[in-house]
Amino acid sequence: MMTSLQLSIASFLMLFITFTGLAQASETNVEEEAKAIEGTAHIIEIRDFVFSPISVEVKAGDTITWTNFDIVPHTATAIDHSWDSGSLKLGESFTYTVTDDMQLDYFCLFHPMMKANLALEK
Amino acid sequence: MKKTIVTCIVALALSSASFITQAKTPAELNDLEIAHVAYTADVIDIQYAHLALALTSSEQIKKFAKTMIRDHEAVNEQALALLSKLGATAQDNFLSQKLVSDSKEIINELSQLRGKAFDKRYAENELAYHKAVNGLVAGSFIPNIENKEVKALFEAGLRIFKSHENHAAMMVKNLK
Repeated sequence: MMTSLQLSIASFLMLFITFTGLAQASETNVEEEAKAIEGTAHIIEIRDFVFSPISVEVKAGDTITWTNFDIVPHTATAIDHSWDSGSLKLGESFTYTVTDDMQLDYFCLFHPMMKANLALEK
Repeated sequence: MKKTIVTCIVALALSSASFITQAKTPAELNDLEIAHVAYTADVIDIQYAHLALALTSSEQIKKFAKTMIRDHEAVNEQALALLSKLGATAQDNFLSQKLVSDSKEIINELSQLRGKAFDKRYAENELAYHKAVNGLVAGSFIPNIENKEVKALFEAGLRIFKSHENHAAMMVKNLK
């Protein structure tokens, strides 16, 4: 049989565990919500005439940053020219925020063989 | 008479020394001569591109020519920066001179063409020129370059010029 002191301690511990669990769950939800609002930051390297990774899964609100590591300038340009980084010299970057209706196929305006794409996660 | 003989001997000795030190094949060029060839090859392609911009009305050719100017200028900028860092100067040589004399003939030929005939010849020359230079860079220059930084620049340059070769091949195909 438990004494009243033991019962009190057990009750306190149960309450503590429940409260901590709730607090952690709530913290996780806040982080996820913030992430959903802020979006994920994707990095694409332009190196040796290749966009790397060549295909990236994104969702609206995410940001994509292209950085050129080649000696020569490149661009990241939508195939229909609806968005365009402009000329990116060695070491320069361009950041774009993903929208639901953005053109997902893109290329380098200066070197048209350089092609890549984004996959929109709904 | 004695003075003439001495002059002849000195001249012969100088020309012999020059014969011994001057490279006769691309594989014999030293790093500074190789740098000179590459710089010259870049300048020549920039000249072809300026001629194309002046003579063509094809958007495809104009875009390609602008890319050649942009890329070759960027590579030469890096090459000059590296030479400056190394405190060295590129050295003129037989191959640079050959490239220049060949380019004069090609510029003369291209200058007399107009319309599709010009576009086709320009594209074909770009393909042949990049193929030839890339062959030299891969086969003779990169294996013989001694300085690591110079070698790295040529390796990066080769990747760029191979892309130009592919681009030129696509252009030739489109113009058929």
